[in-house]
Amino acid sequence: MHEPDLHRRSYTKLFRRFILVSVTCSVLPLLLVGWVSYLYYSQFSMSRVGAYFQRQVEYNRRIVESFLEERTADVKLVAFTHSFGFLTDQSNLREVFHVLNREGAYFTDLGVIGTTGRYISYIGPYDLMDKDYSVTPWFKEVMAKGVYISDMFMGYRKTPHFIIAVLVSKGETTWILRATIYTEFLSSLIETTRLGKTGEVFLVNREGVYQTSPRFNGKIMDTAALVMDSFTGESGLRIIDSVKPAESLAPEKGIPIADLIKYGLMQTKSEQIVAYSWLRRPDWLLVVKQDFSEVFGDINHVNTAILVLLHASILAILVVSVLTARYMIKVIKKRDIEAEGLNRQLIQASKLATIGELAAGVAHEINNPLAVILTTSQVVRDLSEDEKDLHVEFKDQLDQSLSQIDAQVQRCSHITQNLLRLARRIGAESRFVDLNVALKHVVGLLEKRASSSGVQMSIDLQEDLPRLCTFPFELEQVFLNLISNAIDAHEGKPYGSIHITAQFDGSTNGLVTTVADTGSGIPAEDLSRIFDPFFTTKPVGKGTGLGLSISYSIVRQMGGDISVRSESGKGSEFTVWLPCSGPEQDGMEGASGKEGLDEKAPAAHSG
Amino acid sequence: MRKPRLLIVDDEIPFARNLVWLLSRRDYEVEAVYDGASALRSIEEQEFDVVILDLKMPGMDGIATLKELKKKRPDTEVIILTGYASVDSALDGLKLGAYDYATKPLQLSDLEEKITQAYERKRLLE
Repeated sequence: MHEPDLHRRSYTKLFRRFILVSVTCSVLPLLLVGWVSYLYYSQFSMSRVGAYFQRQVEYNRRIVESFLEERTADVKLVAFTHSFGFLTDQSNLREVFHVLNREGAYFTDLGVIGTTGRYISYIGPYDLMDKDYSVTPWFKEVMAKGVYISDMFMGYRKTPHFIIAVLVSKGETTWILRATIYTEFLSSLIETTRLGKTGEVFLVNREGVYQTSPRFNGKIMDTAALVMDSFTGESGLRIIDSVKPAESLAPEKGIPIADLIKYGLMQTKSEQIVAYSWLRRPDWLLVVKQDFSEVFGDINHVNTAILVLLHASILAILVVSVLTARYMIKVIKKRDIEAEGLNRQLIQASKLATIGELAAGVAHEINNPLAVILTTSQVVRDLSEDEKDLHVEFKDQLDQSLSQIDAQVQRCSHITQNLLRLARRIGAESRFVDLNVALKHVVGLLEKRASSSGVQMSIDLQEDLPRLCTFPFELEQVFLNLISNAIDAHEGKPYGSIHITAQFDGSTNGLVTTVADTGSGIPAEDLSRIFDPFFTTKPVGKGTGLGLSISYSIVRQMGGDISVRSESGKGSEFTVWLPCSGPEQDGMEGASGKEGLDEKAPAAHSG
Repeated sequence: MRKPRLLIVDDEIPFARNLVWLLSRRDYEVEAVYDGASALRSIEEQEFDVVILDLKMPGMDGIATLKELKKKRPDTEVIILTGYASVDSALDGLKLGAYDYATKPLQLSDLEEKITQAYERKRLLE
């Protein structure tokens, strides 16, 4: 069945509109919720991570600061509670050194240095008694500040170390108590902090030189690949690009990292999250850093999952919307086609009803004058019979004329009877009818006529068809019309065939009868009017154009349907569908009529 | 056997007159009236064997006329004529006691046959 042209464009529009509405109403809120959740979760995660890193950096800073403050306090205590004379005695100094290290091996060595910059007494593993420290930066610093914690330096011992020095001035005696801190111990305070696979904690000085060995990419006293200027304030949290020397630079060239950074010869490895905090003393920066991807690895997985789920949901919504829209459009189209079909039938039925009512009035009005004509013709015939002197030729001509009048009156009467059948409701009582018997009866009636027209009739009737509860005479009238038309369709052809079939259609619980002929067919432009009253393709005088209208009306009253397929020049096929359940009967009129083909059906329910 | 006495009741005057002329020539005693009231007056004044009664008439229609006629002359047989060709209304008439019905236009021979049958029934019932 074709899609109504009128609706073709509106279906596309409706489809698009439906998609737009359903997508807008479902996707937009979902997107909104999804993105808000994503952003909120990201923000929340970021702040949680940031807080965690800051806690880490503060924790480690406090540990280092505590350690350094305690060691400084230790040295100060020794310096201020012991006299120069006491501490310059080697055995006393040794004793003090052991006491200092009693709780832990914090100090590598201990010594008293005079204002000349040379050791006066020294306890430790190195031979430093003859070394001059007067020009070293730490010496100058302690002489200026009184207490000084140095950065890591190599010094005379050629190994990274840092010292705590306290200047003591008592009376005229000025001396410095200098202690070297056990470097490994300092490192151990923070190097044990493990943050995943990529996290590390280390200390650098203001110049970016490692004061402890980092976990990755460097060792103590190396320059860290950090832009020290960016670490402003007391503490902070940054996301930085972790860089390494450009691959084109051979590592053995030994170009300082600072220069590489300065001249843009570093390349980005990955993003890292960095928390930092400046120690109060010394001027060291505690750095806690970890690869961004590792920190947010799980979070990113969750975010990715959320995004994937979000997009999958959107896609699912789109797909479901499209499929649902398509299905709905299909249903709407089907309903429209059905509605159009019903509308056509309604129009046809209304047409028939109107014409039928008109026809009934016209028929009645015409029958009376016809009765007058017929009886008047009879009067003239009687008069002519009385006249014996009439010329033979005149009498013959008169007889012929009167016969012609009678014939035309009968023809008119036949037309009016058909008109009245159009208007008339079919019989009051339905009966159980064997369709095959009815068809065979009609075929029997028309066999001779078909044969004389060179048309061969064949039947293919399914056995044991359910019986129809219908009106037998009207049923035969329908097939009489159809088969009669089929025979007439072969006019002008030397031979042809009509094939009649009958079968049960389980899907619709009805009987389907087809009458297919090899006649002249019906032009396409006439097909829509074939059931209209007075529409005929036969020559004038050969048909009234009422047969198919009457058949249509009868079949519809039986609760059935009639349709046609035809190809001009090739033939036509009429299909009649009748319900096995029988037609609805509401207030049927009339007599029982003569006995039908089968026994009576039970009395129909009247509404 | 004498031919039956006939009363034609039809508002179509030319048709009624033609029937009178044709049936008279065939030795029927026949009269014509053109409405139901006149028909009732006629049957009160004289007895008819068979009444040929048109269904559709102005004023008192065929069914109403039939009902009154059957009250006054239950033995009189009635043949209903109708141009409407409606089995329903004709059969209403049969239920009210009409003997048969015929549809217009009709052949005279067919009408004569029905008149004969109606008259024979009347004679049998007398």
